[in-house]
Amino acid sequence: MNKNSELTKGVITSNDLYDTKEETYNNKDVNYWRGFRELYNDPEFRKEVESEFDDDAGKPFDTSKLSAISRRKFLALLSASAAVAAAGCSNYRDKGEIVPFNQKPENLVEGNPNYFASTFQIGGEEIGVLVKSREGRPIKVNGNPEHPVSKGKANLAAQATVLALYDPDRIREPKASSDKNSFSTIQWNDADAKIIETLRAATTAGKEISIFTSSVISPTQRKLFDDFIQQFPTTKIYPFEQVNNSVKNSAWNKIYGQNIAPAVKWDEAKVIVALECDFLGLEDGKTEAMRLFAKNRDLINNPDNYSRLYSIEGSTSLTGLNSDYRLRLRTDAIEELILALVNEFGVKRGGSALSLESGIVSKVSSFNINAVAEKYGLDKEVIGHLVKDLDANRGTSIFVAGASLPESTQISTYLLNEILGNTKLYSFDFKQDLTPLSTTAELADLSGKMKGGQVGVFINFDSNPVFDLPRNLGMAEAIMNVETVISFTEIDNETSIKSNYVLPCNNPLESWGDYNSRISYFGLQQPLIAPLFNTRQKEAVMLNWMRGGNNFNESIYHQYLKDNWQQNLYPILNASASFNDFWFDALHDGFVLLPSQTQESLQFNQSAVIQAQPIKPSGGKVVLLTRNYTLGDGKYSNNGWLQELPHPVSKIVWDNYAAISLATAKANGLDSNDLVNVSIGDRTVTLPVFVQPSMADDVIAIELGCGRSSGGKVSEGTGFDVVPLIGNDGISPWVYNNASISKATGTYELVSTQEHYPIDSPKFKDIQFKRRIIQQGTYKQFKSNPKDIVDRVEVEGIDLREFPSINGEPIKYTGVKWAMAIDLNKCTGCGECIMSCNVENNIPVVGKDQVANKRAMQWIRLDRYYFGTPEDARANFQPMLCQHCDFAPCENVCPVVATTHSEDGLNGMTYNRCVGTRYCANNCPYKVRRFNYFNFRHEFKDYHYHNDSMQLAMNPEVTVRSRGVMEKCTFCVQRVMKARQDAISANRELKGTDVITACQEACPANAITFGDMNDKSDPIQAYRNSDIAFYSLEEVKVRPNVTYISQIFNIEEEIPKAGHHND
Amino acid sequence: MSFDSTYTRELPLVPERSSFKEIDDVIFRPVEEAPTRKWFIAITISSLALMIGAVALANTFYFGIGTWGNNSTVGWGFGIVNFVFWIGIGHAGTLISAILYLFRQRWRTGIARFAEAMTIFAVITAGIFPVIHTGRPWLAAYLIPYPNQNSIWVNFNSPLLWDVFAVSTYFTISFVFWSVGLIPDIAAMRDRASGIKKRIYTVLSLGWRNSNRHWQHYERAYLILAGLSTPLVLSVHTIVSFDFAVAILPGWHTTIFPPYFVAGAIFSGFGMVATVLIILRKVYDMEHIITLDHLEKMCKILLATGSMVGYAYCMEFFMAWYSGYIFEQFVFINRAFGPYAWAYWTMFSCNVIFPQLFWFKKIRRNIPIMMLLVILVNVGMWFERFVIVVTSLHRDFLPSSWAMFYPTWTDLALLLGSFGFFFTCVLLFVKVLPSISLAELKAVTENAQPTHKHHH
Repeated sequence: MNKNSELTKGVITSNDLYDTKEETYNNKDVNYWRGFRELYNDPEFRKEVESEFDDDAGKPFDTSKLSAISRRKFLALLSASAAVAAAGCSNYRDKGEIVPFNQKPENLVEGNPNYFASTFQIGGEEIGVLVKSREGRPIKVNGNPEHPVSKGKANLAAQATVLALYDPDRIREPKASSDKNSFSTIQWNDADAKIIETLRAATTAGKEISIFTSSVISPTQRKLFDDFIQQFPTTKIYPFEQVNNSVKNSAWNKIYGQNIAPAVKWDEAKVIVALECDFLGLEDGKTEAMRLFAKNRDLINNPDNYSRLYSIEGSTSLTGLNSDYRLRLRTDAIEELILALVNEFGVKRGGSALSLESGIVSKVSSFNINAVAEKYGLDKEVIGHLVKDLDANRGTSIFVAGASLPESTQISTYLLNEILGNTKLYSFDFKQDLTPLSTTAELADLSGKMKGGQVGVFINFDSNPVFDLPRNLGMAEAIMNVETVISFTEIDNETSIKSNYVLPCNNPLESWGDYNSRISYFGLQQPLIAPLFNTRQKEAVMLNWMRGGNNFNESIYHQYLKDNWQQNLYPILNASASFNDFWFDALHDGFVLLPSQTQESLQFNQSAVIQAQPIKPSGGKVVLLTRNYTLGDGKYSNNGWLQELPHPVSKIVWDNYAAISLATAKANGLDSNDLVNVSIGDRTVTLPVFVQPSMADDVIAIELGCGRSSGGKVSEGTGFDVVPLIGNDGISPWVYNNASISKATGTYELVSTQEHYPIDSPKFKDIQFKRRIIQQGTYKQFKSNPKDIVDRVEVEGIDLREFPSINGEPIKYTGVKWAMAIDLNKCTGCGECIMSCNVENNIPVVGKDQVANKRAMQWIRLDRYYFGTPEDARANFQPMLCQHCDFAPCENVCPVVATTHSEDGLNGMTYNRCVGTRYCANNCPYKVRRFNYFNFRHEFKDYHYHNDSMQLAMNPEVTVRSRGVMEKCTFCVQRVMKARQDAISANRELKGTDVITACQEACPANAITFGDMNDKSDPIQAYRNSDIAFYSLEEVKVRPNVTYISQIFNIEEEIPKAGHHND
Repeated sequence: MSFDSTYTRELPLVPERSSFKEIDDVIFRPVEEAPTRKWFIAITISSLALMIGAVALANTFYFGIGTWGNNSTVGWGFGIVNFVFWIGIGHAGTLISAILYLFRQRWRTGIARFAEAMTIFAVITAGIFPVIHTGRPWLAAYLIPYPNQNSIWVNFNSPLLWDVFAVSTYFTISFVFWSVGLIPDIAAMRDRASGIKKRIYTVLSLGWRNSNRHWQHYERAYLILAGLSTPLVLSVHTIVSFDFAVAILPGWHTTIFPPYFVAGAIFSGFGMVATVLIILRKVYDMEHIITLDHLEKMCKILLATGSMVGYAYCMEFFMAWYSGYIFEQFVFINRAFGPYAWAYWTMFSCNVIFPQLFWFKKIRRNIPIMMLLVILVNVGMWFERFVIVVTSLHRDFLPSSWAMFYPTWTDLALLLGSFGFFFTCVLLFVKVLPSISLAELKAVTENAQPTHKHHH
């Protein structure tokens, strides 16, 4: 015992206990003893007792024997190792950085979006847009609601600009090449200095400086070019659009002596006859046309005016499928029918609004409606209706010829409108381009000069002449003969890779600009974000060159634009505000209205009609080249969203094809996916064929804009380049009637989002009606007995809402209950809603192979059903999205409660909880659930859209879904929640109209209504209570919350009715 | 095994009068002897298949379910087909060991152990698929109802959750039943073994000393477990069928599914047991223990269950027509005449038409023909599940979303891998444990029977 040891102080040991009991042992209490040895106090026993807890237990601590690790140290090590283990197990979820603002920008509240008005140039058109910006990042482009033309609707390419801005393929640094082949990065200053030197040298040597650009519709850009020409007088501007309105305009010019053909007041027309004119799909101004057209296709708000649309066309266009009556007629024969109608209304019947000169009378005398109908097998009943309607609606009917039709057809069409007195339906709010588009002769001249070395500098002003120009101009070789080729571009293209300088230019969302393509207003473009990469605005770069090259800063074009407005626009407006106020107002609005101008009266020049040589249909096949529905002339072909948007008619993605009719396919032994050679003269293109219902026989419709050879990673290997078919021997630059088609070896898989089945076999015929997916009727029925149109499924006397749900107490929905209504009469199937949904909800691009596997991720499907015969099929379009069923069959089968119903009627998805059994998708009768079979951002083109810049494109309000998770339309729950928040903070009731879903926002025809079905004053009530409202697949009794308005065709004949009463 | 006092003489189940020692030797031979060449060849093939499956599984885990043929329309493919197929295979074991045991069908003794082992392996094989077919298998624990601070509970309305319970219960009970049955035999092996083997078998035999009391308890436990297992034979596949029957999808939403699936499961299970036994008795010279009589009885069960399945097939068509529900009518027309008609008619002929040959005794006792037919049964039953899963999904309500399902190499490799896994397990089993219940078998040999003097 070492009682003095410091360590044992205060520690009670067994020895202490025994010590205190010493007396007990000494005091031999004979009354209490445990054994004799104790009784006799045996020393051995005492020792044993003392060391009862043997070894060291009874002894004081010997620190040297203790473990070197103390309790504290042990705990410290334990926690440290736990921390190491925890840190070592990395979280599979993506990590990001959160960086606070050092200096908070004005008017920016984190988490709240800011909206900026701007204007984009898409092809030759300007689109007034409103851009949503979050924390400085533009994330969504909508139409500008206050804009006189956009009225809140953008178009596909404008919406997809968000992806273009963050496109990982954008060129990040200027680069230069001496041999137009191998490039190296160059500093802007060096490039500028060298280029200025070249420009000066070219001017001195008298060599041309060619600027090749798309349509010039920007006044300040035009001024820039003028100033540039002053500085470098040998400059020449070549504006070019691959598909344009030049034929239409020149025909108008010949007749009325004005340079620009008018548009149509679609909303005032009672009878519209579209001649190869896809005004709802491919023509310029389609967004406005859809909005105006839909006004008279609105049976809920405007039941007494219902226009009738005739389409006379060779290809199957979106407009054709939306028309009430459709005549299939090869494109080069349309003029015969028009001339026959001119003969009918201008000569045979009285009442012509224009007295025809004898030259015209004799010209048209040989054309007779019945004969034309006979010749081309046109439906005589439809012709009869047409003639009757035209007669009854003089002054309120309109013929519109597609921009691709030849000049003589255009002239005849204008004549017919004049005869019928329809000219007041023309809308003159259009201005011709500020620099006329180059003619074919001018372009040929340019090519010749380039080849001949007379062009010193060729500036490709964000265009792509090598790909876009007709190949017989030999641009690819010509460009190699030019000393210095400068390309402004965002993404490398066929021209830039053959340039000496590739100067990366700003995206429209990074640029300043102004536009004036209409008489009534000026559009203003403003940047939403500083350039993401080392890019510059192309106009600013030019300005810098003009000014000697040393004073570039980001605002020089901004200042130039402002100055131009101050000098040239501000004075004519007679505004009372100061220029500064005016300027900021304009920036805020995105446009400036101009004083109205009086339209000079039209003088019809009949001699132009007499001079025009009517088109003679040939025995050959007709090739109709159109712009690409999504990609335009191919400029947007590196945009995955646009590539993957199903073609509204064929539902094909990622490719173009030769569309032919069933009879033409049979006659040539062809089937869809067969490769064919399409030849015009000595020009041949090989591409796959697609048998498209309703095509006119012997017509081959092909979209341009595909098959880019150097258009970025996304466009690689997509589609077929058909520009080589363009030549000088067409009846117009886009229509050829001397073509032939022959089978080539092999096949090519075209991928469509909808399976094809024979629509005329008894198994599938009218299946959309038998299954009550679509309900339809005629306007006649609607007027006489609207209740008769919808075939309802009634369970007598039972309200299914009262049925107990197997999910326990049914939700009572006492507050707001969300519902959607889609008017199938206004919906044209254009696909803008899909694009808007893609952008809003961070929907990944999956690629052609995955669409082929039926794994497209778009939350909205635009279902297209044909009825009738494959030769002359009609179609129904139906946007199909999550129906947010009251008895959602997906909900009760999810084992982990990842999909549930909210108290405001939404069917929600909890991504974090989803394990991905896919049972919900199987049990969904509408098949609107989408499963992330891969992490598509990794899967698509080897992480292409996983790039850093793409992260900026994501909507921060919407979770980016990982692999293995189910997703589907949420009714834009993030917008619902935002509206709810706003209502709460403003201390007011949440109204149904507070929420606008992304699809609704983008729909050019306003076919989608979203609101609160429990609010009797909500506009959605009119739809839900309509006699012609129906639920798709009502029979399945899942109580969907998307109401569809029956499709009503304005025709006289009977039409297949829904229900399976015919079986 | 248990004897009842009212024993009457039947045809001998083990025809030859083998001594107990001989039986021991025959049954333990595969375990005790060094693996034969045949065994090595067999396990090489099966483990190769297993490895191919493992590669496919790694591929699935690395890239996602996208490596399979499933798509937005056909959300379930080979994963669920294989799951239901293997669960079905697992049914014969419990039926043979539990229900036939309760019904005192002594002919089961020769095949019961093996069938039980197959059940275990088939259920394990089956159990792999629901886990790997999910998009995020690492979150599979979400299917287990465990208390958590988020108060998220599982969805007891979902048949998939019922599956979790049904399959795990089935596996647990089957495993316990099989393990308990093994105890006396393991003890017997312990007594013969030496070295490390002896130590392992000693542990596994749980101190079995063949005492009368042990036997009494054992018999009682076995009987109780048999009683517990019996309803599971019916319930498991009933619940698996609910995966489909509870859905609103035409072709799935059918009340006939529970009995139809149970009959099909027994059908396929017997098919697989017969397939494997025919090979096994040949390889290990056990023809005198697993006799032709056994196989013939199994053929009769195959005939009966095959006909039940055939009835169900036809009844589905009748109901589709009778319901007046055009979606359902279309599904069945599409099954028989649509793009997957080849799968439907493969199923129909393998499951309904060919087993009808078992009406003939000559065929029931002809091993090569029997072998062919039982393999066809396996094929047919796999296709049955394929037909149910894929053809119902691929063309359902909206024609706009109709799609085809094409398996990928990963799908095929996983199917192959599942067979590899199963047969590897079977081969390892026959190498380390007695594949025939020694104790039960001895009880039905001639030597074990009450005898009369004049026989000796």
